[in-house]
Amino acid sequence: MMYMRILDSLNIKKQCAQYRVGLWQCPQFLFLIMGMIIIVAIAATNTLANRYVAPEIAALIVLALAGVLFVIGHMIVSAFDRVARSARSKSEFISIISHHLRAPLSAIKWQIDVLLPQNQSGRLQASESAKYLNAIRENNERMIFAVNDLLDVNRIEDNDIVLCPSAFSLVELSRGAVIKFSQLYPSRSFSLHIESEDITTMQVYADEEHIRRVIQHLMDNAACYSSEGSSIMVRIVPEEAFAKWSVADEGIGIPPQDQPRIFEKFFRAQNAARHQTGGLGIGLFVAKSLVKLSRGKIGFSSAPGKGSTFWFALPIVK
Amino acid sequence: MPYTKHMDTKNKRILFIEDEEALRGAFGETFQRDGYTVFEASDGEDGMLIAKKELPDLILLDLILPKKSGFEVLKELRKNPDTKHIPVVVLTNLEGSEDVERALAYGATTYLVKANYSLDDLVAKIKSVLEHHSPAL
Repeated sequence: MMYMRILDSLNIKKQCAQYRVGLWQCPQFLFLIMGMIIIVAIAATNTLANRYVAPEIAALIVLALAGVLFVIGHMIVSAFDRVARSARSKSEFISIISHHLRAPLSAIKWQIDVLLPQNQSGRLQASESAKYLNAIRENNERMIFAVNDLLDVNRIEDNDIVLCPSAFSLVELSRGAVIKFSQLYPSRSFSLHIESEDITTMQVYADEEHIRRVIQHLMDNAACYSSEGSSIMVRIVPEEAFAKWSVADEGIGIPPQDQPRIFEKFFRAQNAARHQTGGLGIGLFVAKSLVKLSRGKIGFSSAPGKGSTFWFALPIVK
Repeated sequence: MPYTKHMDTKNKRILFIEDEEALRGAFGETFQRDGYTVFEASDGEDGMLIAKKELPDLILLDLILPKKSGFEVLKELRKNPDTKHIPVVVLTNLEGSEDVERALAYGATTYLVKANYSLDDLVAKIKSVLEHHSPAL
């Protein structure tokens, strides 16, 4: 049993998969390399010093090896830091996802708490019941959205996404999204800009359901990180063999130092504080992964305090 | 049999700082039915302004809020001499030990998880908090 445990701990590939890090970022692997270098270095230095080289040269070799060990030591510390950060992000993610799942559930619970006694006492008016039932439906959709997010992240990490590509109209998909988001965020002004009639008939080839979710994530981000009364513009333009879809907001923007990491899983920009928006930090990660799977391109431009434009491009069907 | 003090809720004023419109609606309807005066704020900044202006008897505070988080609101409420004595009930769906400890350290009176409370339970809880913070009653 003990041997099995030792053998198991030497299975570096398994350890890398467990921490979801590369070989040169895996603390176990780096420790193993360092141990081997130390053993070889001691033996070699001893042999060299005894047989061939003057003590000064042997001291210099030891110094050089100490430098190599210092670099490996630094890599090990960085690897532990990365693993620790990943663990912290995960625990924060669990806290936020539980909030995201509970928020619509508690809203539904409270709305039923109001509806039920009124219904039992016969005081329930049609307009009142419609208001609460619509809110219950909205919260139910939010719940489905949050659960789908979780499943997407899991499937992406396990390379278990099934593609069902087909030809469809990005314009039609966007029209539906603009209507839906205008209802979800009535305080934002959503609009769809199509520059020519040709674009309306243009079709792209991708997994329609995935692209619907990408649009949802990008539009949700635009709404979450912009203030009430601001405009959010969706635009579709042809660009060579691709159809380019973009959403531009007038929101808080992304600080330049955070921009390189914005598509990383669980990453939140400094100005998108967890306790002010409650975002999961997975929307852009999911969007990028799904667009890439459909052989598309994705990117953004942003200016802090002025807003962001997120875009993706998909191949046009000829 | 334990002694329970009957509290007249007619003059009690509650501020509910919550960004979810549906939750504010359901809460407002229930508490107004029970005789409370309810003020509502949809973000942290607005909540702070109403708290300073109306000086309610109790504040129910969500933690994830636009413009100013619940933690920032709580800190400001406790710093302000006019609002530092108002009981603040944190009502959120966050339940991490770090969040609970931080809210209590900042001076929250109690910490409730929304999903665990029906509106009737919440009415009873608020009544109890108000009783314990109202020496005149």
